[in-house]
Amino acid sequence: MQKSPSLKIILTEWYRIMKSKRLILPINRIVRECRDVNTYFFSHQLEAKPGQFVMVTDYEGGEKPFSLADSTTAEFAITVKRVGQFTSRLFQKKAGEYLALRGPYGSSFFICPHRVLLVGGGYGTPPLYFLTRKLLEAGSEVIVVNGARSGDDLIFCEKFRALEVNYHNITQSGCLDRKGTAVDLARELMNTIKFDFIYAAGPEPMLKALQEIVKDTEYQFLMERYMKCAIGICGSCTMDPLGIRLCVEGPVLSRLQIEQLSEFGHYHRDATGARIYFNNGQGFHD
Amino acid sequence: MNQLLRTDFLGIEVKSPLVLPAGIMDMSYSGMAIAARNGAGMVTSKSFTLEARTGHKGPVVAECEGGILNCMGLCNPGIKEGLREVEQFRKNCETPVIVSVFATSSQDFITLTEHVNNSPADFLELNLSCPNVYDEFGIPLAASPGQVSSIVRAVKSIAQMPVIAKLSPNTPDILPIARAAEDAGADALCLINTLGPGMLIDIRMVRPVLYNKFGGLSGPCLKPVALRLIYQVCCEVRIPVIGTGGVQCGEDAIEMLMAGASLVGVGTAVYIRGIEVFSAINREIAVFMKERNYRNLAEIPKLKDHLDRMVQDNEE
Repeated sequence: MQKSPSLKIILTEWYRIMKSKRLILPINRIVRECRDVNTYFFSHQLEAKPGQFVMVTDYEGGEKPFSLADSTTAEFAITVKRVGQFTSRLFQKKAGEYLALRGPYGSSFFICPHRVLLVGGGYGTPPLYFLTRKLLEAGSEVIVVNGARSGDDLIFCEKFRALEVNYHNITQSGCLDRKGTAVDLARELMNTIKFDFIYAAGPEPMLKALQEIVKDTEYQFLMERYMKCAIGICGSCTMDPLGIRLCVEGPVLSRLQIEQLSEFGHYHRDATGARIYFNNGQGFHD
Repeated sequence: MNQLLRTDFLGIEVKSPLVLPAGIMDMSYSGMAIAARNGAGMVTSKSFTLEARTGHKGPVVAECEGGILNCMGLCNPGIKEGLREVEQFRKNCETPVIVSVFATSSQDFITLTEHVNNSPADFLELNLSCPNVYDEFGIPLAASPGQVSSIVRAVKSIAQMPVIAKLSPNTPDILPIARAAEDAGADALCLINTLGPGMLIDIRMVRPVLYNKFGGLSGPCLKPVALRLIYQVCCEVRIPVIGTGGVQCGEDAIEMLMAGASLVGVGTAVYIRGIEVFSAINREIAVFMKERNYRNLAEIPKLKDHLDRMVQDNEE
């Protein structure tokens, strides 16, 4: 039986994409951002958009998603926070050693060419750097809030300062310019400036707090969930109740989607699929 | 929903013959619900085990020409937590749901069945054939007619809903196994589980691409093997068969139905054609049926009957 021509095209295109998405690359250089955060650069033109991610493995057990901290015609970068076995192994790697990557995957940020606010929390900030570069190319007026627990945890300050943006640091310890959270500073800015679009990436409680103070402005958040396949079939990263597969329809979600997600700011799922509540609360209450 | 595609499976009406098979987008109620909203006539839960499992370490999937290798390793939150997702699915969605369970002994299958009896599941599927846990559990139960028979019999003695046995293609002769399941009282069969297992090698780093080394193969390349096994089994057994393996489009689904399947699983195609694949295949089946003037799925000829008639005609 003959396949319909459209399906032949779909399958051919799938083979092409599949081949192009598998990369075995040497680490070109490693930049230390702070005590437990490194940025890894790879000399490869990825053709990725801000917000997208790659899956990375060293074949020693574990394959994890990392948002792109930057991507140009010459190279791309991922920023890694040391949290467990897998990332600890990455921290032992040296320039020249190989990693297996696949991607880019997922949705990307909408580029709004007007006045925009970017709110980054902790180690969520790196993809906002890539976004900032693209926004500036589009002629946007960019205001960046970069928040962290302490000055030691604050990353990418110099990189943002090297760009033509209105840039603000804020830490909860108050050791630098300002004391408070990224959301505190965002609220202040929103009270005095009218933004056309808001972007944010960071811990989910921060995103939730930000969502609660945004009034009419459209926004996009970069979200995180446990991912395994990254190609939309295993279901590990689906978000309730819409069934959004964060690896395909995300990781960048828009206001309309986020407002309908009952699990946002409430719970996520672990490697078994069991729900883990952000407030450590128990029970099954949607 | 298209009237052409309505059918009846073991007394339950389904709006489409397409089934979301176990292991695809079914870690949560909302994943199953999105498949149902996109046109799946029936959905299957993740295979639940007694206790939670994190599954294998990554990489757990690898794409290859014609398919995908996976070694998820039966990650699931355990039967109790899993059935809560099924309950929540039922609150959100009327689509019939199959609860899949995995165990390695009759006793554990019985315990799992007791849990499923107290859930809104419409069907119980016994995963006798996961190819990704050989290291842990040995050769799948579906390789032995004797074991399939004793487990199906044990489960049937207490199950309060129809029981489906999911069989493996990774056996030299599937027919004694299919017969054993039928004789032991299985209400339906689901075939096939993933093929292999297979492996892929990263030639630059000289490592297996999957951390588990081996993984079950799914995707378009699977279809010819699935069709052959479904055809062979459907010639032998009288219970209905859910045919799954490599279906990408309406024409593939029609092939499955002609091979003898009553319902058709669509899994890996979700990756290749997106979540809209269910509605797309429904549409493609309906277009074919209209072209050939089939008024319902039962009018699509079964290959076996068609060949038998040809032989009869020749004799006359």
